[in-house]
Order: sequence, then C-alpha cells, then structure tokens
Amino acid sequence: MARMKFLCDAERCIECNGCVTACKNEHEVPWGVNRRRVVTLNDGLPGEKSISVACMHCSDAPCMAVCPVDCFYKTSEGVVLHDKDLCIGCGYCFYACPFGAPQFPQDGAFGLRGKMDKCTFCAGGPEADNSAAEFKKYGRNRLSEGKLPACAEMCSTKALLGGDGDVVADIYRNRVLKRGKGSEVWGWGTAYGRPDKGAAPPGAKS
Amino acid sequence: MQVRIRQWLVVLALACGTIAIPAAAQPEPGSAKEQAAQQQTQPGNNQPFWSDVRGGDNPYQTTQVRGIESSILVQPAGETWRQLRNGPITIYGGWMIVAVMILIGGFYSWRGQIKLHDQPSGRRILRFGAWDRMVHWGAAISFVLLAVTGIIILFGKHILLPIFGYTLFAWLAILAKNIHNFVGPVFAFCTVLMFVTFVKDNLPKAHDVKWLTKAGGLVSGEHVPSGRFNAGEKAWFWIGVTLLGIVVSVTGFILNFPNFEQGRALMQQANVIHAIVAVLFMAMSLGHIYIGTIGTEGAYEAMRTGYVDEVWAREHHELWYRETVANNQGGGATNPAAASALKEGWKA
Repeated sequence: MARMKFLCDAERCIECNGCVTACKNEHEVPWGVNRRRVVTLNDGLPGEKSISVACMHCSDAPCMAVCPVDCFYKTSEGVVLHDKDLCIGCGYCFYACPFGAPQFPQDGAFGLRGKMDKCTFCAGGPEADNSAAEFKKYGRNRLSEGKLPACAEMCSTKALLGGDGDVVADIYRNRVLKRGKGSEVWGWGTAYGRPDKGAAPPGAKS
Repeated sequence: MQVRIRQWLVVLALACGTIAIPAAAQPEPGSAKEQAAQQQTQPGNNQPFWSDVRGGDNPYQTTQVRGIESSILVQPAGETWRQLRNGPITIYGGWMIVAVMILIGGFYSWRGQIKLHDQPSGRRILRFGAWDRMVHWGAAISFVLLAVTGIIILFGKHILLPIFGYTLFAWLAILAKNIHNFVGPVFAFCTVLMFVTFVKDNLPKAHDVKWLTKAGGLVSGEHVPSGRFNAGEKAWFWIGVTLLGIVVSVTGFILNFPNFEQGRALMQQANVIHAIVAVLFMAMSLGHIYIGTIGTEGAYEAMRTGYVDEVWAREHHELWYRETVANNQGGGATNPAAASALKEGWKA
C-alpha cells in the first residue's frame, strides 16, 4: 500500500497561491479556514524562497497523540483524518502541530472554537465515500475517485508533489541530481521521522 | 504582537529610508548575511536559510494567508508540550490524585470522624454570615465543576473512553469543555471575592506556629487553640485559594480567549502551568473537602447553615470562641450569635 506524502520543492515554488485557491475551491472550506498556505522566506531579499504547507500527515502525528477524545485516525495509506462528530474544539491539536495545520472556525462569542478543520489529503472523512455529509464536513474525497490532492495536481510549476511517498521521493531525487541543488526535503524529518531514527510505527501514539 | 511591532518598525524604517537614507542601508536579517557567506564557501548549502523556517520573528517571512502565526512554517515547541502533557502531567498528576485519595481514605479508616468531646450545648454561634457562605459556595461549586470537567478532558481518554465508547464520551467531553470554558471566569471572579472576604481572618498570627508544629493535633488528637481560622485553613487560603487560584485563573484566561490572537508558545506554556497547578489544587482541595465534610463533626453544618455549636467553637477554634464571647459581653448583645452577626456586619 502506498504511503501518501506531501513534498514542496522550494526551488520551484513561485508563490502563486494556486494550491491555496485550488484547495478552497475543491472543498468549499468555510471563511477564515485555510487548510493550505504558502509561506515566503526572505521575502523581497536575494535568495527568496516559498513553500506551500498544509497538514503533512505525519507518521507519529502529534495531533493524534494529544486529542482528548481520540477523534483522529490514520488510513491504510498513512493519511491522518479526523471525525468532526467527535471533535470538541479544544484546540490541543493546534498547540501540538508543528505545521499550524489545524484550523478552527469561530463558533460563538470570544473566539469559542468550532469543530477543527484541516487538510484531508483530499481523502474525506469517516462518512461514506463521496456522500453529501462527507462533502459538507470534509470536502471532496478525491482519493476514492483515484485522483491525487487538488493542490498538487493544480501546481503550475509542479513544485508541490502529493502522492505515494516513494514515487514523490524518486521524482524529487531526479530533480536534485539534474539541477545539482536544493536537496532539502522540507518538513520531511519533522513529519515522517529522520531516516537514521527509523520511522515510527503507523498510528503510533504516546 | 512582537512580530507586528517589528513589521511596523520595518515599514517605518523603509519609509524613512526612501526619504533620507540610501537603499543600501536597508537592514538585512542575520540569516540572509550568513546565507550569502555560506554560498561563497559551500554553494548549494542553504542551512542558515532553512533554520529561519522554525523562527517566527523574521519580518521577511511572510504569507498571504491571514491567521494566527500563519507565517511560521514550523513551531517545534508543540512536541515539548505534547511530551509534558501526555507524559509527566497525565501520569504523575493522575496518580498523585489517586494517592491523595488513598491517603485520606487511610486516615479516615484510622481516625474516623473527629467527634466533639463534650455534649453539644445547643447554643449556637454564627460563624459564617450569608455573604461568607455565598462566596464560599460560589467558589466551591464552580471549583468542583471545573475539577470534574478538567479531569474528563485530561484523563477521560484513558479512563472513560474505553468504557463509554467514542460517541458517548465525545458528547460528554463537549459538555465538559463548554462547562469548563464558561464556569472558569465565574471561578476566577469568586476567587477574588474569596480573597477579599476572608483575608482579614487569615492573616498569620503567632499562635499559628504552635498549631503548625503540632500539625493541629490531627495525628495526636491533642487540642491546639486557634483563631477563627487555624493554620491549616490559612495554608489552604494562601497556597490554595490565593496562589493556585490566581495562577490557574490567569492561565485559564489565556487559554479561554483565543480571539486575542495570542501565539501557540504562550498557550502551550499556559496549558502546562494550568494543568500542573490544577492537579495540585485538586489534590489540596481533597484534604479541605474531607476535613470540611465527613472528617469533622459539625464542620459542614457551619458552612451550610452558618452556625456552629458553642462547644464546637470552643473545641475547634478556642481563641475565636473567646473573642466572640468577649465581644458579645462588651457589645451588650443578648446572645453570642447576635454578637457574631454584628461582628460580621450582616443582619442575621
């Protein structure tokens, strides 16, 4: 079974925010919720680089470990999903996530948090695949239709890659060899564990 | 906030720069300089640049997406927070509460309820006026609600979830979260009232030292005279209600109102302090609740009705009893209860 991973090639990302727009359009996410964002480093300076970031679907996901109601689960493809019916909107996943992926629509006065929303790797949620209920809560389920995430598919420079981790790594390795630079696989150590440490078992909690 | 100030400073600096200073004077972040130097010796090594990814205070790190700390790529402190919360706080905190419960249970089976030595006289003295009781029970009820809901949020996953199942437990947890969020400010308010109401009689006195060295006769059963509040109650007032109460309230407010756009680092730290202090607070409160209910005959009635028997007052708070009686005789009131009511400043 494929292990789904995201990779953003910072040598290619041109900060067009096409992935952000594609995501919003595909899933019709509520106002104020951003499942994906593009961060520009050294903006306006020589050596400016941009990276598109969303939930990385970590091997040892911190959100999963700290959730007080255990609403997260991991699919057989390594995608980290959550059940909005169980979510209590405590914000702990937001404290734990290094990537700032969990988003909370405001639900009531004083910033009371609603149900958490985050990138699903276009894999929907626990409801029946492609059902109306699933779309309303989690957006489109493209994986069940044999498609890859909309953000990566839409990327004009193919900077953002999403799919089988082995294939993604092969594409990226090939690029690095050909152009001779930019070998930082941004976020992979944090999300999928350092190669020398060995990967955490799937669904690992602590 | 700091980021925003710096952003404004940069805007200001740029605005000044366009007028007076040549563009070359534009400040460059340290990492950009380091990066340029790195390119000379090691072309292709972007280490200084990538180390910026984890920092949140670089004004040149931007995003078009509006949100709390959305320009930060990686915030690594969340992992530390996770290890602390899921590790020592949950494990040691949980067992500490269990240990205190076992200790109290052991003490109760050894000593049983502390009974009055003499027969109750039937003459009653007002110990807590209506205001005192209202403030006490306001704080007490909100405290218990917060403790129970807090326990559900921190330990429920390990204790209740396996029994209740996901659907029922999530329903309970949503209820717990909302009760916790709304009762929290009520408790903070009651804590302030508690302090103002009871601080006068909780000021340390010389006789408290004697009480403390004898541990109030809790173990020996010896009689140690005390004022309106004994040193144990004073310790609970200063350490529990005041210190732990204020810390738990302040950290609670930080967590309760995310609409002020406080960053994750602050909330992680606030949550760690909140959880540690709350566990200590709960452990201490168990002692207070035990002594105030099944541990001591007549103690619960004092806070429930406001009145204590004269014998109870003499046996538990001798100095306060004498003072009350003396005030009664000096003030010319007909009975100690009325005198005490006058002293309280409340019409009985």
